[in-house]
Amino acid sequence: MVRAILCTGASVAAGVVLAVAMKADGISERARKLHFSSIVVDTHDDTTQRFLDGKFDLGPRSATGSIDIPRMREGNLSAIFFSIWMPSKITGPDAVNRAIVQIDAVREQVRKHPDDLVLATTTAEIRDVHKQGKIAALLGVEGGHMINSDLGVLRAYAALGVRYMTLTHSGNDEWADSSTDKAVHNGLTDFGKDVVREMNRLGVIVDISHVSDKTFYDALETSKAPLFASHSSCRAICDAPRNMTDQMMRDLAAKGGVVQINYHVGFLSQEFRDAEKANPELNKAIGAEVTKRCGDNEGCQLVEGDRITREYVEQGKLPRVEFSKIIEHIDHAVKVAGIDHAGLGSDFDGANMPYGMEDVTKLPKITDALLQKGYSEGDVKKILGENTLRVMSDAERISRELNSASKK
Amino acid sequence: MRRVLAFLRVSFCLCGGFFFARCTSADDIAERARKLHFSSIVLDTHADTPQRLLTGTFDLGKRDAEGHVDIPRMREGGLNAQFFSIFITGRTLGPPAVQQALDQIDLVRQNVQGHSKDLTLAATAEEIRRAHTQGKIAILMGIEGGHMIGNDIRMIRIYRQLGVRYMTLAHFYNDEWADSSTDKPVHNGLTDFGKDVVREMNRQGMLVDISHVSDKTFYDALEVSKVPLIASHSSVRAISNHPRNMSDDMIKALAAKGGVIQINYERNYLSEEYRTAFASLAGDVSRMEEKFKKECGDDNVCIGRAEIRLEKELTDAGKLPHVSWEKIIEHIEHVVKLVGPDHVGLGSDFDGADMPDGLEDCSKLPKITEALLRRGYSEEDIRKILGGNVLRVMEQSEKISKGMQAAQ
Repeated sequence: MVRAILCTGASVAAGVVLAVAMKADGISERARKLHFSSIVVDTHDDTTQRFLDGKFDLGPRSATGSIDIPRMREGNLSAIFFSIWMPSKITGPDAVNRAIVQIDAVREQVRKHPDDLVLATTTAEIRDVHKQGKIAALLGVEGGHMINSDLGVLRAYAALGVRYMTLTHSGNDEWADSSTDKAVHNGLTDFGKDVVREMNRLGVIVDISHVSDKTFYDALETSKAPLFASHSSCRAICDAPRNMTDQMMRDLAAKGGVVQINYHVGFLSQEFRDAEKANPELNKAIGAEVTKRCGDNEGCQLVEGDRITREYVEQGKLPRVEFSKIIEHIDHAVKVAGIDHAGLGSDFDGANMPYGMEDVTKLPKITDALLQKGYSEGDVKKILGENTLRVMSDAERISRELNSASKK
Repeated sequence: MRRVLAFLRVSFCLCGGFFFARCTSADDIAERARKLHFSSIVLDTHADTPQRLLTGTFDLGKRDAEGHVDIPRMREGGLNAQFFSIFITGRTLGPPAVQQALDQIDLVRQNVQGHSKDLTLAATAEEIRRAHTQGKIAILMGIEGGHMIGNDIRMIRIYRQLGVRYMTLAHFYNDEWADSSTDKPVHNGLTDFGKDVVREMNRQGMLVDISHVSDKTFYDALEVSKVPLIASHSSVRAISNHPRNMSDDMIKALAAKGGVIQINYERNYLSEEYRTAFASLAGDVSRMEEKFKKECGDDNVCIGRAEIRLEKELTDAGKLPHVSWEKIIEHIEHVVKLVGPDHVGLGSDFDGADMPDGLEDCSKLPKITEALLRRGYSEEDIRKILGGNVLRVMEQSEKISKGMQAAQ
């Protein structure tokens, strides 16, 4: 199956296997061709958590979760950011240690699969890896608590290949307020601003997913490089503090940034969010079930959380959210912020996926849906990855400029 | 006496051919030594200069009245490849040890970057050679003490990735998996985990440094390691009977497997007379050291200064003998006589030890070349001692590492 599809992808240009390419999923030939010739970038995947118990390997097709090499091939994901994550409550040297171990785990997965994966840190590397027919693996640190207020640690992460850092996770850290915690810093502290400046110098992209609105505006003002939201959706459609308001998206875009749409049903659908809010017992029950199945294994928790939520939907306890909601958010972001300012930040293996976007194999459906909506092929390519690549290359350029300025 | 002997030997070795007329002139030898020294890769495997960088006031770029290493003096002494030691006290363990080590690595990297006209970071033999061709000083890093991996084997990969090229298995205290030469043995050498650490070091191309370790740890490491070992800064026990030095049997065993002992210039390790006098004063000294700790806290530079002051006072008072820099030559010569010229090199311990008279800092290094030349060493052998031997071990390590990684 995988082999057949790989073969299809490779031979579409020759026009030989068209019949095979039109199979099952109902994706148009034009969409398939476009999708498989594009660089598709996903800026947020929590698959790293699955590496940590040493049992999961990216090589074989997995029956659980949303990401592995065969499925990335099938969905033509060309560049994936593996998230380095731990809860905000883990701080200090322990957080540093754990982050390093996770970075190592990603690097080891890449090392184990040299025919499929290459660690990349620059746009040039992503394009080069794409040409080789391999998948670029990148690193993002999801939460400023992992630097333990130490710029030396930030620089160590950068040296190890980390390409973005989310300024906070769900809790405030020592120098930035989160969107889902009680504000204590009024946005970024002075040190937080220094962190942003050092990130600019290092070419580490400032990720404003998860941060409070005030932190976002402080970062926007401080940063010399465009920002991105690695996995956030539109608040106008689903009123979650994790999502961005129209004004925030406009301001982000005015400075060249990109909002990478998150596929989590709780961020996509107001209906889903309302249902969750209306019945907090459901979330508690899901949490209890997850703990029962997984203990404190974070990777298991994330994957099982998605599965159990799906079970609740099947039982009619939570509303069903279709993948078309993703398209709705992309379209909204494009209308509000412009075609150059939206991208993909799935949150695979870390969130609850909508129907029709169960895993990375379904990505061509996004291309198909956007074409159907009347987007040009050039515009679709931007959303699939080129916008993100632009932000990355801007960050690289600004890093070079700042470094050469500091040498004088 | 020594001088006359040296002169006779030089004459003897060069008699023959058209050099005869030239080699009889002492000035000519000085000139030849100069040429040889300043065209060689002079590689020192251990300097504690990062401790001075930690003060935040020391600038590598300026000639300093204190300490042993800075760029002007490195230039003057023809020192063009220097391992900076990443060191934190062996009493700090676990995640805090990891973070402090990361910080020190970053500090070295930042300082190298800040002096990019003179310095360049290197981690391989080829990079050292390239730096030499470019007229730059190669800065390398070694971790002095296995406690800095925080008992986590994965840290070896991370440190290697950050540019660290050797790790000393223990420092003054035993760590979790290796006995030190200056602590009470608890592991009977290397534990099973310690042996795994050595294997992983081989795989990652991290040189195994057996300075500081107990004799049993040395023999265990020698047995396990597929790559020749180095003693990054140890001297000869037959001359000064200190546990930090290597016995003749150890040197023979090290050499039989291709390793190198890098002579340490610390007076206690060079001179038996000094060592015994110092040891008899140790009661006083340990009291003094307690006083230093009170004065200086954990500031290693401050402690170092106080020690130098104390030793100077004791030497001036005639309680400690003077130690001449020629002792270094004696140690080198002892090793060469024992195992030949392929197994000895320079591991000064600059900025971490008390230097002998005549080798007050790295600007004096050409004296070593001249002394060896006067003793009749061939230019080829002198180049080996100055750096070629370590380069050979580095290349072997790189080759074996590549093979092990490919085989995996």
